[in-house]
Amino acid sequence: MRLSTFFPGPLRFRTLKLRIAVVYAALFAIVLATVVLLAGNGVARFGENSASRDLAANARVFDEIIGLRAKQMRASTDILSRDFGFREAVATHDDATIESALLSLRQRSNSAAAFVVGLDGSMVGSSDANLPPVESLWSALDGGQERGMIRLGGLLALAAASPIQVPDTVGWLVLAQPLDAAEMRRLSRLAAVDIGARVVGASQLSPALRRAALGQVVETGGSERILHHVTALPALQEGLRPRLVLDHSLTAALAEYAGLQWLLAALAAAGLTLVIAASWRVARTITRPLSALDAATRRLGEGKNAKVAVTSDDEIGRLGTSFNTMVDAIAERERQITHVALHDGLTNLPNRKLFVEQLDHALARRRDDAQLMVVYVDLDDFKVVNDTLGHPAGDALLRNVASHLQEVLGDAIVARLGGDEFAILLTDLAASENLAALADRLQDCFDRSVLIDGQQADASASLGIAVAPADGTDGITLMKNADLALYRAKRDGKSTYHFFEQSLDEQARHRRQMELDLRLAIRDGGFELHFQPLYSLREERLKAFEALIRWPHPQRGMISPADFIPLAEETGLIVQIGEWVIREACRQAASWPGDISVAVNVSPKQFLSPNLAIVVMSALTTAGLPATRLELEITESIFISNVERTLDALHGLRKLGVRIALDDFGTGYSSLSYLRSFPFDKLKIDQSFVRDLTAGGNANAVIRAITTLADALGMETLAEGVEEEAQAEILRQEGCRQIQGYLLSKPINAAAVHAFIGDMAGPAEQERRRA
Amino acid sequence: MKGPLATFAVLVSGAWIAAAWAASPALVQVQVVDKRGLPIRDAVVELDPEGGWRGGPIRLPGRAAMAQKNIAFTPGTLIVAKGGSVAFPNLDTVRHSIYSFSKAARFEIDLYGRDQTRSKSFPVAGTVALGCNIHDQMRGYIRVVDTPFAGKTDQNGIVRLSGLSAGKYQLTIWHPRARVPGGEIKRAMAIQAGSNSQKIAMDLR
Repeated sequence: MRLSTFFPGPLRFRTLKLRIAVVYAALFAIVLATVVLLAGNGVARFGENSASRDLAANARVFDEIIGLRAKQMRASTDILSRDFGFREAVATHDDATIESALLSLRQRSNSAAAFVVGLDGSMVGSSDANLPPVESLWSALDGGQERGMIRLGGLLALAAASPIQVPDTVGWLVLAQPLDAAEMRRLSRLAAVDIGARVVGASQLSPALRRAALGQVVETGGSERILHHVTALPALQEGLRPRLVLDHSLTAALAEYAGLQWLLAALAAAGLTLVIAASWRVARTITRPLSALDAATRRLGEGKNAKVAVTSDDEIGRLGTSFNTMVDAIAERERQITHVALHDGLTNLPNRKLFVEQLDHALARRRDDAQLMVVYVDLDDFKVVNDTLGHPAGDALLRNVASHLQEVLGDAIVARLGGDEFAILLTDLAASENLAALADRLQDCFDRSVLIDGQQADASASLGIAVAPADGTDGITLMKNADLALYRAKRDGKSTYHFFEQSLDEQARHRRQMELDLRLAIRDGGFELHFQPLYSLREERLKAFEALIRWPHPQRGMISPADFIPLAEETGLIVQIGEWVIREACRQAASWPGDISVAVNVSPKQFLSPNLAIVVMSALTTAGLPATRLELEITESIFISNVERTLDALHGLRKLGVRIALDDFGTGYSSLSYLRSFPFDKLKIDQSFVRDLTAGGNANAVIRAITTLADALGMETLAEGVEEEAQAEILRQEGCRQIQGYLLSKPINAAAVHAFIGDMAGPAEQERRRA
Repeated sequence: MKGPLATFAVLVSGAWIAAAWAASPALVQVQVVDKRGLPIRDAVVELDPEGGWRGGPIRLPGRAAMAQKNIAFTPGTLIVAKGGSVAFPNLDTVRHSIYSFSKAARFEIDLYGRDQTRSKSFPVAGTVALGCNIHDQMRGYIRVVDTPFAGKTDQNGIVRLSGLSAGKYQLTIWHPRARVPGGEIKRAMAIQAGSNSQKIAMDLR
């Protein structure tokens, strides 16, 4: 029967424990079985050998016993054969006397037969059984044989003979005793071990015994194993071959050793049980920590606590320690990865993702009577710091702000959303909380300047605030609304905060619609150019027109540039719009008198567009306008991003012959370094200075300073927003060369420009009107 | 009882016996040997004339005495003429008795001492085996013969008989250890005048 009947497939173990236990147990079982078999065999062989030896030894004992018995009988015959009377009876053939003496001898010696064999072949005897014929005995007796086996009746009998001498031998006295079963049993009792003895004729032996060598121990038997020992006994009768057969039951002899074998087997079984128990125990001590590690590894995979208890300092113990170290390392790395994933690398503040989670969490926890505030923060002049002081400084500012917020706000959650944008989450605000005061306090946090690389930087910020549940109950809405509020705060001017209002949402929608309309207008040429005249006080003539874009919206009517230019700037549409303005302005200007130029505003985004010079040249060529009649107006802000590039672009345009004017001079940074780095053709003084001229104060001093500076640098000056004659007069006195404003005209459409030029024809007329 | 087998050989010279019987006495030499041809000593050789001895009283040479000396009968074999008397002198220091269950003479002589003698006559021819009741090993044989022609073989197994007349005789050879029924060999023998010679072989016990 194959093992696979019991085991599906090859023998495999599901557990190491079982394998170790089975292998050890099998090994010990084999060894024990071998030992038990060998020992059992040895015992059996020892038993067989000693039984054989016993039998052989007892065979000698039997010879002695039979010899002794014969000697005893002979002693009896000797006594009678030497008796004088008996000898006389034999010598004189006194048969009656002889028979009575023989009967007496038989009774005395308790023998079965006693008889006298005469030398002359006669026989006189006393016996219950038939005596053997004389002639079969005579020659052995005459040969001097004193003892031997004869046949007495049907039985073999031991006989002893003594000669009867008077003084010559006249016959022999023979005494015989059958060696029947009873007699043999009697003899057997003299043997040391239980031996069955019998005397039979050789011809009566079983074939197996007949073949066996005399004097050797042979074994026969089927169910019972019997040892036999056959010896030849001397025969006193001719034709007789008596054999002494000794039987010894090997089975019975070995039975004595069976107990020993059982004990051996029991000991082996006990040993095997002990080995199985011990190997099971050993296997368990090995595999238990392995199982613990196995389970711990699975727990580790499931992200649970997977430490194992280390109970030993061997290899398995060290494995456990290493495993624990690994678990710690994995946990630490997981923590770091999670931290990196959820935190901002620069400031170590939570990032947007974590902020959203925390917000959602806080919203879920929020009690019905509590409020929750989401604040979006945008640093006002971060871009300036970044551009002027460099990115490291910008990073330092962000770090500074971040740590300051954490320090000041304490339990509030502060996150960096990206760039210079931060978010603050305030939870558990009472319904009665004064939110405006809270917003003020938040604003105060940014009302400080920071020292970076030895330079003061402004850390002011704009805040957009949304409050749950009023402004939304889900994180996405709240964050969108806070963002909208921030946008509004930025628009309102810097360093301020704004609470979300529903209108902001509407404004946002409005912006999206406007952006869509802008794109349509660009595609369909929906813009118009209006022109505002620039007048030279010194030459007293019309000098140029500044082209100003107008957007007559098909549904909403005329839309102010102030409404859509910032949107165009934000969306980048300004580049396309600006291009159109340049081309259209050049085209219009080409129809004007040759001494009248056109001025076009170029936004910073447009200025950074690499093909500005190409656009300009293309526009001039297309319109057939000399480059000197085109004046591009830029603001200081173009320098903020990249001074080198800006200067390159300016020089490029200058090479075309285009004039460059610096717009809105006096506001913003108004760094004099710009004036030195590039020879502008004109400075346009911001209208804020002009407005103040008539109010007294030092405004005219500023104007004078600017004009003096401009003169010194060989630049023209132009004052914007001139609305009154008085202002124009002061400007003239302070040396300002040109003016622009409602005093002359508000922006007019292209058709009106020609009329205006006609009206202004000639300096004399102009002068007259002024007077 | 095991004895070497011996053979009597009686050599008879026919011419010698015939001459003796007719005119001059015949001479007979008989040699007795065993089976190996070795001579047998102290075998008794008798020649009985056919029809028996009718020559009157027989006188055999030598003294008819069987002494007991050194716990033995001396001589071991003694030839006595029928009707003759034998003396049994005790030459030992111990006492002896003498018994015989032989057919020829059945008698018992009680113990008698040193330097005493007993005598007994033997009227019947035959063999008388003598034993001592107290010394089993003592054997003595007296051969009672009815013929003057009897003698014991010497160390060469030879006996010489003389004074015979030619004629028919019965030769009898006896030895105590002869291994033949009756202990003796009998055969007819014709004696001629002159020398007769016979060699007889016989088994001994």
